[in-house]
Amino acid sequence: MNDEEYLLAALRIASGADPVPARVSVEARAVYGLRLPGAVTAGPVELPTDGGAWPLSGVRSAIRSDGCSAEGEPRLLRFAADGLTIDVEITVCDSHLDLAGQMHPAPAKGARVEIRTPHVSKIRFPSETGEFATTGLPHGWLSVVCHRPGDPPVATRWHRIRR
Amino acid sequence: MPYDLDLLDETAWRDLVDRFGYRMWAVARAFGLNSTDAADAVQAAWLRLVESAHTIRDPERVGAWLVTTTRHEAARILRGRAGDAPTGLPDEIPAPDGDPVAVMLTEEHGRRLWAAVDTLPMPCRSLLRLIVAAPEAGYAQLARRLDMPIGSIGPTRIRCLKRLRSLMEDER
Repeated sequence: MNDEEYLLAALRIASGADPVPARVSVEARAVYGLRLPGAVTAGPVELPTDGGAWPLSGVRSAIRSDGCSAEGEPRLLRFAADGLTIDVEITVCDSHLDLAGQMHPAPAKGARVEIRTPHVSKIRFPSETGEFATTGLPHGWLSVVCHRPGDPPVATRWHRIRR
Repeated sequence: MPYDLDLLDETAWRDLVDRFGYRMWAVARAFGLNSTDAADAVQAAWLRLVESAHTIRDPERVGAWLVTTTRHEAARILRGRAGDAPTGLPDEIPAPDGDPVAVMLTEEHGRRLWAAVDTLPMPCRSLLRLIVAAPEAGYAQLARRLDMPIGSIGPTRIRCLKRLRSLMEDER
């Protein structure tokens, strides 16, 4: 087994140098508040290789903000659980992220989508076809939660987006 | 006492942060990650704990799992930084118990390791001291400081760590 990093980590611990930055501990404690008892976790699934099947380009062009368009292709992610598929498309900008998404099948009336980062939560009411979008998310970890009337919420695995 | 994660109270959570936060940070930094990436790796482990929703039966085992998960996430971030094609899919979440070596990450174990480092010949002694003191130092910087060819830093690092490991195995 390759345990080089563990050897180095043990040396680091005993040396006492490089203590944990305060903000790392504060953030670790804050994760407690992100629990969603009863939620179903949606794992990532492979995207179809046929890129033409990706449905979100209309939503993306509607939300894309200035200063982001020249920077490469958006990140495409698909998550699924409990009969629900959540597609997410993220555009990485210099100072923030823009996000467009769609849930399949289209949600029942009263459904809402919560786009979460460790520090920010935004609520969106999806369109009749299940589309939703938001802008101005911070770089780092994010998760999308679909709250469905009468069914448990479905939360995507946390995903890290940085440049 | 078994904890059910859904019922785990905030005090118990803070206790986990206090007990294992430093080990998780040390593991992430041992990969040479800068502080932003190391912080992301540590936070990933806590987020995975929230989403894995398994029952916590033994805080020590959860600690080992958190350390192991930090290691997985740190390795993943490092691969991304190295320009390997990201698949977009996170790694598998480690098994609930974590790997057994993670349990050995204690200050006492580290002190015995340092005693063993002091018995290593040069340049191992200096190289390992520098790597620990300056986790973000690249091979070029290490090569300058130790007056060694840059191409020999990687192989020397591996050789020194192997010697250190075998010294510790002899000690057992």
